[in-house]
Amino acid sequence: MHTEAAAAPSRLAHHFPDMKTQEHAARMGMWLFLSTEILLFAVLFTAYALYRFLFPVGFEEASRLAHVAMGATNTVVLITSSLTVALAIHYARQGENRKVVGLLAVTILFGVTFMVLKGFEYHHHWVDGQLPGRFYSYSGLQGPGVSMYFALYFLMTGLHGLHVLIGMGLLGWVAWRATRNEFGPGYSTPVELSGLYWHLVDLIWIFLFPLLYLL
Amino acid sequence: MTATTHSEGKHLGPAQYVMVWVALMVLTGVTLAVWKADLGYSARVAVALGVALVKAALVAIFFMHLWEERGVARLTLVVAGLLVLLLIGLTLVDNATRFPYANPPYSESWKDAPWQKDAPPMQGEPPPVRVTPADRSTHPAGHAP
Repeated sequence: MHTEAAAAPSRLAHHFPDMKTQEHAARMGMWLFLSTEILLFAVLFTAYALYRFLFPVGFEEASRLAHVAMGATNTVVLITSSLTVALAIHYARQGENRKVVGLLAVTILFGVTFMVLKGFEYHHHWVDGQLPGRFYSYSGLQGPGVSMYFALYFLMTGLHGLHVLIGMGLLGWVAWRATRNEFGPGYSTPVELSGLYWHLVDLIWIFLFPLLYLL
Repeated sequence: MTATTHSEGKHLGPAQYVMVWVALMVLTGVTLAVWKADLGYSARVAVALGVALVKAALVAIFFMHLWEERGVARLTLVVAGLLVLLLIGLTLVDNATRFPYANPPYSESWKDAPWQKDAPPMQGEPPPVRVTPADRSTHPAGHAP
């Protein structure tokens, strides 16, 4: 704990008057970045809305081919991982670095679980020929809009999965820093910002799951 | 513990986070239950999207600390949300107000589509395809001759 007091001033960039201002600037920057991420996914959601409007039957029938049990499990996994990240941020603010390491490790394990389940889903779709565009070869369901559903399914879940992987990397880096007791009441910005990123990944999945699996 | 740099005076604790998590789990259960019950298409869409919006708000306000954040973060998220609404809303308004025949053939109903096994034989009255009245006489089923 007492090392914090000595370490804190060195983390203050010279163009900020104090740590509080620096921390607010960092979080504002993170929120601006997150809003660009929201807009990146918004383009895909718009494409989904547009093609769903053009092919209402095709999308409704194709979404019945989604593996709801695995998707629902992944929803529970991601929401729970958001809880562990929120708790990690809470303990980082209090300087309880061991708890931070444990909670972030659990979060990363949830991330691994998510990706493994996603991999099984992709494998099933691949084997069944439920693929985008002209690669769609599933004989059990044929009709306009079905292959477009799978194009959007793989694009949206693929981009989201990439974000899960990046989030796991970020949290791993932050956990490593927590093992060196870097965080405390005066400094927890990396945990907060990586946590915000992870929550956004959860937020996007909250919309992806009903749109792609249940409608 | 109170002397944190980010303190705006209303920090949440683990108990509150667990409560939010429970609420999110219950809402996920509601979505799945409504999906299972199959209350009809529009009810399913309304519940799924409504619940997703509530869940997203819970995550943003409590897990992402908008509750204790200064105005600028909230403003950023609200502006992003407005832009998303404009993007999706105007795209849909454009499509909803187009000439109805602009939709691809059979996109709104697969009944009687020529690739269905139990489709009626292609004779007599052409199947109800959305083609322009001028096409109807020369191009049965909307296919080019």
